[in-house]
Amino acid sequence: MMAGIFAALTAAFLLNVAGWGRLAVFCLLACLALSVGLFLWEIYSPEYGFRMPWLQVERERTVLPIWRG
Amino acid sequence: MTSSPLPIVLDRLILLLMLLALAGTLTAAMVLQVAFGEIPCPLCLLQRVAMFGCCFGLIQQLHAGESAHGLEWGLERGSERGSGLALVFALLLLVISGRQTLLDIVPRPGHAYVGSAVLGLHMPVWSVVIALALLLGFAVRFALFGAPRTAGGAGGAVLHRWVRGLEFYVVLLCALNFVAVILQCGLDQCHTSGYRLL
Repeated sequence: MMAGIFAALTAAFLLNVAGWGRLAVFCLLACLALSVGLFLWEIYSPEYGFRMPWLQVERERTVLPIWRG
Repeated sequence: MTSSPLPIVLDRLILLLMLLALAGTLTAAMVLQVAFGEIPCPLCLLQRVAMFGCCFGLIQQLHAGESAHGLEWGLERGSERGSGLALVFALLLLVISGRQTLLDIVPRPGHAYVGSAVLGLHMPVWSVVIALALLLGFAVRFALFGAPRTAGGAGGAVLHRWVRGLEFYVVLLCALNFVAVILQCGLDQCHTSGYRLL
């Protein structure tokens, strides 16, 4: 998959240099779609899904004394 | 667009500086990989793809109106399309590097920042900084010079030569990365344990 992404990217640059603007942008958009797909596949975990449970931002509960005026 | 050439030259200089900074970053990544043996992870490689995508957009903008590319696409459209592409890939870079930073921000078994730190920051964190700098650069450019526009030959031969030279350098760098990816991953998944074909 990564090889395909870099192949599309290199093709986009070479086509752009050769003056094939439309085809170059098409290759770049294909590269973008493949990259997004691979990124989502890489970060997906069967256990957690897309969540990041190692990030804990919950505040610790503290018992405050009751003010008696 | 018929306006005085100075803002257009400054506009092109900003684009050229952004392209130069990206080419420098991608060169540094390649040097770290080849000379220091730091094999990139899959998300690191995707961040390189996003940076190359930004380079492509910047090159399209720099060429719009001065060559057959601009005429083929329409003088203004070539530049606007390049701006859009560069912005999309800058956002992609921010999303990927942000996720990777959060992935390794809590040290635990099997998860630590890949590679060595530069000025105390690891590569994914630098990628976040670079993505934000790119977005800021585009915002400043739009704020100062308005909508993307074509060069119309402004900037002279020196600027044109710089653009051409940098373009060929970026294409060469991209081809080198392609070869490195083939050596590292083959046609399969990428791992940081070594080069599959070596």
